[in-house]
Amino acid sequence: MKRVRLDRWASQLQPPRNPRLQVQRCALSHETTTLPRRRDLHQQRQYITQTQWQCQRQPVSSKRKASTAAVLQEAGNEGESEASKLPSRNKKSTTPLYAPSHHTAARSAKLAALHARLSLPPKLPLQTLARCLVDPSADPRSDYNNAPFAILGQDLLGYHTTEHLTCHYPRLPMSVLFAAQYAFVGEATLASVRAEWGVEVVAAPGVEVDAGLLQLKRQVPGNSMVEGTGRRVKDMPGVRALGARLGGGRRNAEWNYRRGVSSRVVFDDEFGDLIGGEPYAGAQLSTSASEDGGAVDVEGGDGTTSSLPTLPQSPDDTEATTVSDASASFVRAVAGALYLHVGAAATRTFHRDHILSRQLDLHTMFNFTHPTRDLSRLCAREGFEPPVARLISETGRLSRTPVFVVGVYSGDNLLGEAAGASLNEGRVRAAAAALRSWYLYSPSKGEIVVPSEVEGMAAAGKGKEWKPQVIDVGEIVT
Amino acid sequence: MPLQALRTVAKSQNGVGAFILQCKRIDFHYCDWAGSSRGMNAFLKHQLPAFAAQNPSIEISVSPRPGRHPVIKGQYINGREKAICVRNMEATEVTKKAELLKTASGEKLRRDRKPVKSFNESVRGVWSPFHGRQYKI
Repeated sequence: MKRVRLDRWASQLQPPRNPRLQVQRCALSHETTTLPRRRDLHQQRQYITQTQWQCQRQPVSSKRKASTAAVLQEAGNEGESEASKLPSRNKKSTTPLYAPSHHTAARSAKLAALHARLSLPPKLPLQTLARCLVDPSADPRSDYNNAPFAILGQDLLGYHTTEHLTCHYPRLPMSVLFAAQYAFVGEATLASVRAEWGVEVVAAPGVEVDAGLLQLKRQVPGNSMVEGTGRRVKDMPGVRALGARLGGGRRNAEWNYRRGVSSRVVFDDEFGDLIGGEPYAGAQLSTSASEDGGAVDVEGGDGTTSSLPTLPQSPDDTEATTVSDASASFVRAVAGALYLHVGAAATRTFHRDHILSRQLDLHTMFNFTHPTRDLSRLCAREGFEPPVARLISETGRLSRTPVFVVGVYSGDNLLGEAAGASLNEGRVRAAAAALRSWYLYSPSKGEIVVPSEVEGMAAAGKGKEWKPQVIDVGEIVT
Repeated sequence: MPLQALRTVAKSQNGVGAFILQCKRIDFHYCDWAGSSRGMNAFLKHQLPAFAAQNPSIEISVSPRPGRHPVIKGQYINGREKAICVRNMEATEVTKKAELLKTASGEKLRRDRKPVKSFNESVRGVWSPFHGRQYKI
């Protein structure tokens, strides 16, 4: 069996770059599009403001421009014809557009401002950032929406978060690891990241919206009234499509078998949640032929016919999504696009700056059921003396508000200490504190080397040496 | 299950990693006829291109508001808006107001009574009567 070449793994996802290609080709336009440098964007915007003033100096009989958008549109057209930097779009092309075109995207002030606000490298073109803002529910074609970038970005962000957590906290139990992963790169967090970036959401997608807005087909909330009736959406059966098949691939799902942590590691997603029916919002699920009326018959090699579901071709056929789903896809898509255009180092910097910089209190995420039992099993496994709870100090025993400070000792060593309103509460809290201090062990900073720092060709010259990381023996079995 | 986890969302710390400027859009409204807008018009002609170049992360919009005093409106990431009327100001003063809007956070103006704001608890710990020197009667 061939040896796994870790140094080539991370950098082989991109095809080798052809240095003779001066310009980049994008999926949308049939001609080539140059990368708009930030200087050119400023010159364009300055040119637009200057032409606006020139319009003002015309005689009074000329029509006064009521809105800036009209001026920008006209000035943009003038600028296009004169500067001829961006080639005009072929009017005869028949591919329908459901989102602003690349040429409109290059002129959007909101998009350019977003690019600068995130300090994205100039290698990431504005057109790609515009594509990252298009959710599959707004445009179902995978060449025009952010789904491919989102899938890649989700894997990359999840990979960097997991390696950070497992290297910094090697003894973290699996359920807390799932919850910490969700806290850093889960859907709720990424939705708030989108809001903190100042990205607004459209009311409805279309070609005429600003390219700097997040475009999605918004799901009708369950409390709103269905048109023409007096009933709410959530009370009407069948209005909203039913959710995922429960069980997620487990063989005894129909008997409601317990979903333990180990089975979550195998069957569920990176947060320990059931993988829903859809890999991304708006994806077509394979259903049986009898249910799906719009199936397409496909002939197999041996003459048998099977039916494939028809993929949606326009936003009229797609499923609506929630704003938080689309926001998470957008942030993931930016990470994926950064990897494809700029490289692995830029993705790591993005993850460090926007995800790891967020504050998370891991010690508040533990919910013990029997901490005393778990602590005594841990001491038995590690060969410590059995834990004994001793009262360190107390006050107000006969009053309405007593305080007992209890410490759990293994021999002479204090494992954990806590205060409680009763002796029992103090003992239990002390055991929980001891377990928390065990689980949240972190090696010294000099010993922690994260795999992505040393793998790949980008990290070759950096001088970081790999050190084997602490791998824990396992969780406490009770 | 021996141990369950409590799900939460990590809190953002703007500036610890990446810094996101809170002002995302500034609207400049001017008037050609009103005398109070002379400074604003001069600012738009001479100083605005440099201001826009220095702040690429702010979306700038210029539009006439005929018959009204000139005003600058800033929109912030927390959804709030701040407006400053720049009537009868010179171009340099208008620049100062634009800088003021740029550096603002969008929060309401309030006086902070505490010297330190932090997510983390104190490094040296809060005093407890049960640890340290015991007071014996």
